[in-house]
Amino acid sequence: MLMLGLVAVATLAANGAQHLRYMALAFLGVAIAAHLMAGPDISVWQAALSLAAALVTTAILFIAARDGRFGEDPGWRLWVATIVAATTTAAAFAFLRTASGEDVHVSVLGADPSGVTQQAAAFWLLSSGVAILLTARGAVRGSLGALLMLTGTQLLVQLVPGPQFALALMLAWLQVVVALAGAFLIVNERALREA
Amino acid sequence: MTLPIALLGLGAVIAFAIRKRVQYAGPFTVGCLLAAIVLVVSFDAGTTTEVLGLQLRLSELAQLGALMLLGSLISLALTVWIDEPAYNFFPTALAAGAAVLAVLTLTAPIAIYGALILALLIPVGSFTFQVHRNRSYEAAFRHFSFVLLGGCLGLSALALSGSLPRDQPPATFVLLVAIIVVAFALKLAAIPFHTHAALLAMEVPASALALYFGVLVPTTFIAFAEILTLSGLLPAIVQISKVQDLLLALGTASALGGAFLATGSTELRRVTAYSVIANLGQALVGIATLSGPGIVGAIAIVLVTGAGATQQLLAAGAIERRSGADQPSATVAPLAALAFVIGGFAMIGAPPLVAFPGHFFVELIAFSYSGVLGAALVLSTLGILIAQLRAAIAIFRVAPDHWRVESRPVAGVVGTLLFLALLVGGMQPDGFLRPIAAFADEFIRALRPL
Repeated sequence: MLMLGLVAVATLAANGAQHLRYMALAFLGVAIAAHLMAGPDISVWQAALSLAAALVTTAILFIAARDGRFGEDPGWRLWVATIVAATTTAAAFAFLRTASGEDVHVSVLGADPSGVTQQAAAFWLLSSGVAILLTARGAVRGSLGALLMLTGTQLLVQLVPGPQFALALMLAWLQVVVALAGAFLIVNERALREA
Repeated sequence: MTLPIALLGLGAVIAFAIRKRVQYAGPFTVGCLLAAIVLVVSFDAGTTTEVLGLQLRLSELAQLGALMLLGSLISLALTVWIDEPAYNFFPTALAAGAAVLAVLTLTAPIAIYGALILALLIPVGSFTFQVHRNRSYEAAFRHFSFVLLGGCLGLSALALSGSLPRDQPPATFVLLVAIIVVAFALKLAAIPFHTHAALLAMEVPASALALYFGVLVPTTFIAFAEILTLSGLLPAIVQISKVQDLLLALGTASALGGAFLATGSTELRRVTAYSVIANLGQALVGIATLSGPGIVGAIAIVLVTGAGATQQLLAAGAIERRSGADQPSATVAPLAALAFVIGGFAMIGAPPLVAFPGHFFVELIAFSYSGVLGAALVLSTLGILIAQLRAAIAIFRVAPDHWRVESRPVAGVVGTLLFLALLVGGMQPDGFLRPIAAFADEFIRALRPL
């Protein structure tokens, strides 16, 4: 539950950041909290792989910013994205969470074997990502929205039975490619702004 | 089976390192793609292998798809090497080729989806070109947004459907399958989700556009059919007709809307892009009928449309480059103009090309489904025919005595070769349709598991 709170706060920080470098650091916070949430359910190698991908992603965005002032002011979009994300998360959780009859006990600090908090975090990240991506004016917030969505997707994929390490490897590569494509677009956007 | 994928992936890294030496990067790229085709064809159909617990299987459809899609990539790489130097294209083509092969051979739906998103993201770098003079940055950003919006939503819905217990209310599965369908519609640029494709059609380099419409869009469609087959969602779709209705509505809207938009334009790239969207709509209708002929026709349409789009977009690029600021015309590149026109035959599904059986099957099954649906598809084909005729008349409006045959007529030669391949395929349709029919069998079995 604590990690769910951290994911929410770090997402709000990334959403509200005006500078790309702060945004990148806040995203790192989201990624770390999200992957710690899975706890002992995933292997050490899988966790290390996901964290390495998050670090590389942050580094790519940090370098793409070129200086500490470059970014995109969210303005009113911050509030729209937050309200839409909160509403959609609640709706998605009501419709799509595991519909088994068993009681779910969630503690503040302990692990959550039912996966309910992981699903809630995934829905929150997906909703926030969609809202940010749809209201983005350029590649800076567009990349952030895409990366948040992808982190939410990673959380849901962790709940699927199957070859988890292979899927984690594929999603880690995907995250790095999204960051690279986003950084490429950010560099182009900057060239256009400065022309 | 991993060898051709590894070869193309490694080739992409090497091509990236030598990309600025076009005289080396061009032949290297063509060589890698040829070697990958030879490897794929040399394996027996049905060969399987496992990597980190993920199974890869070389089905007959994967062999056919690899042959056609990597063949299109070779024609693109040849054109860029000889006629339109753009050094970023070579590593992009090889990486896209590796991702396409992964999509065709993987058997886990989530892995197929992941590889597909990778394939669709790879060309973002080759979409932007002289960003100060055009809107190619905006087009690339919109493509990036659409791919990731559709990609993440679809992947999440797939993951949820795989992790939820089977005792869910039907509404849950309807919602999840509807999200997957809309996610694919976003990536396929089906109407009404086509705005990014319209912008791409106008602003990005012709070779990158051909990579998207000629290779990646058909791959996306095949991935959609494969994911439906392998995800175990098909029985739920059969029981709940709403999803089938959604697919039919999207398909019909794209078929009619794409044809209507194509008839409204004489710009070569737009005509091709909207013709592709109209044909994809017809293919979606084919899948939505959930019948053997519909599925065979749908896959046949997308594969041939991909080849036709590659041919037409390369020709359009060659004509535009030689026309400069003037209206594109056959005067400056008659061979490329001819390649554009004969590419139109593939787009409308004219006999005796191999494009015909696909259109015939889908329209036939659509008529047996409902008269209105069949009439809509025939109307769509008529619309594409009119659009292609208008484009042909627009580029051939000048008398032949003014034509100047272009130097290095790569687009013309490539177009003629592709046309001949489609003609030979039309003479021997069994070789083309048998692998697709084998996939249709798998699809039908997944539809009604014993």
